Amino acid sequence: MTKPILEVKDLAKYFGGVKALDGVTLEVPERGVIGLIGPNGSGKTTLFNVVTGFYVPTRGEVWYAGERIDGLNPNEVFLKGLVRTFQIPRLFPSLTVLENVLLTPPRQVGERVLTAPFRSKWEEQEKELARKAVALLRKFGLGEYVRARVSELSAAHMKMIETIRGLITDARVYLLDEPAAGVAYTTARELFTFIRRLRDEEGLTFFIIEHRLEVLMDFVDYVYVLHNGRLLSEGKPDEVMSDPKVIEAYIGR
Amino acid sequence: MLPSFDVLGFLVSWGTFLGIYAILAVSLNLEVGLTGMANFGKVAFYGIGAYLAASLSVYAVLAVYHVAAAPYTTEGIIALGKYGGASPALDLGIFAASLVLGFIIAGCVGYLLTYPTLRVGPAFLGITLLAFGELLRIFLLNYQPLGASKGLSGIPHPFLWIPDPVLRERLYVLVVLGFLAVTLWFAERITNSPFGRVLKAVRDDEVAALCMGKHVPRVKATVLFIGSGMAGVAGVLLAFYMSSVNPNMFVPAVTFNIWAMVILGGMGNNKGAVVGAAIITFVDRILTFITPNLGITIITPDYVRWMIVGILIVLVLMFMPGGLVPEKPIKTPAWEAVESLEKESKEGGSGGDEA
Repeated sequence: MTKPILEVKDLAKYFGGVKALDGVTLEVPERGVIGLIGPNGSGKTTLFNVVTGFYVPTRGEVWYAGERIDGLNPNEVFLKGLVRTFQIPRLFPSLTVLENVLLTPPRQVGERVLTAPFRSKWEEQEKELARKAVALLRKFGLGEYVRARVSELSAAHMKMIETIRGLITDARVYLLDEPAAGVAYTTARELFTFIRRLRDEEGLTFFIIEHRLEVLMDFVDYVYVLHNGRLLSEGKPDEVMSDPKVIEAYIGR
Repeated sequence: MLPSFDVLGFLVSWGTFLGIYAILAVSLNLEVGLTGMANFGKVAFYGIGAYLAASLSVYAVLAVYHVAAAPYTTEGIIALGKYGGASPALDLGIFAASLVLGFIIAGCVGYLLTYPTLRVGPAFLGITLLAFGELLRIFLLNYQPLGASKGLSGIPHPFLWIPDPVLRERLYVLVVLGFLAVTLWFAERITNSPFGRVLKAVRDDEVAALCMGKHVPRVKATVLFIGSGMAGVAGVLLAFYMSSVNPNMFVPAVTFNIWAMVILGGMGNNKGAVVGAAIITFVDRILTFITPNLGITIITPDYVRWMIVGILIVLVLMFMPGGLVPEKPIKTPAWEAVESLEKESKEGGSGGDEA
């Protein structure tokens, strides 16, 4: 594997006596599509929450592109280049698809309150971003939805737009929380094809929580398995799927 | 119409109240309509502006003319009556200084109040600000240097040096409406900008906005600074118009009156806030103008106006849930760029989608 872009070292997060994460060490290589699986309550989402700055870890370190990022706020983590999506798509319902994408680029001139009233100062930047956003949406077949409200979209399209809005920035790593939840089997496969396409064409890195193993395993390079806050197993999809410890954790004895 | 009805006088009086309340409604709309911050303590910042203008002007006039008496004593009030209007430069200077300081001080208080409240969720913000407003009122009710329960009076009108009171009032309404125009211009501009987009994103989903790299606490603090500053200016304008202030002018009902204007006019629309303010102040003014002429004494205008406002809100929300002027999509130059792109791809003959 190539050099890791995201590294988690001995990461722990305790909530009182509950050890949601208890010494997890893993790495995500650049341009990898890496899976993170485990039974409910095994600490997958907690791991995402610590990595993206929602929780401060009890112990351990998070490194991104040679920089330590644990303890930063979520907005600061985003500005470093890590995008996170949620199980239920969290787009902004009162904004159009275009505006959802336009919102993402950081440090826009027109987002500062003192320059916002003076259109001439940010007009060019805004138009340039709009052209970029439309080009991106068209590239992934969503050109017709530019003016649509988010509420008019299908679940799969919402999930795609959650990822696309990261593309307008320099974000390199995407943490996706159950992208295939709540969509049909064929749509789920389309979504993962889309993810692979982004990896191949844009050189992005994906770290994906997923419960639908029948979809996930066909698309990932490497899988980590969490159980009770600890790493239970890791390896190529077929290795993990035949590991007796994993089968036991999922099905029980 | 009644023969004694002074139409122009009514318009001047209505215009002044409309201007002051519309500034408040527009500022509340920025906070609650666009950013989703339930400010139940709007009256506090209005009161800060009014008391700042009142105390600054009475103490300054007494100091300039070397009057030793306190402004809340009979002697002080007589001295204020004597010296107010003596110097146009002083009166206008005090007015200008009050406006600037009113904006800055009310704004800073709003900004500072976000620190203890922003991390605990929207409902707490509302309750904390409501409590702050009441604390401030009770403090003023007991604080002797600011006149305690009697308040401060004899605030010199900025145009007191003009002998004709009718002309004075007419000039003042123009000043108030001028401030409303500036406020509305500013609010409309920031609404239809990338900043306005961030505000709506924060309103829709704070966590998602945070994940998209937006510094949500700073955005909210900024909005509360601007909104509170605007309310402070409205308070300054009120103090100079009424020429006196007292703590009971700043009860929580004032806050809910401003909320009623925003709900009636349309949440998330600045022009709607002005429409809402215009309707409610019209009801208020017309009642105070008409009732003495009609000789009705059983029902005072105060009760009737609350009934009318209540009925209006129920009717509007039943038939126009978005308010009289519902929220509009954000207009930025981005759409011009999209339109020209769409035109190009149509001329090119392709559907646009490559995939």
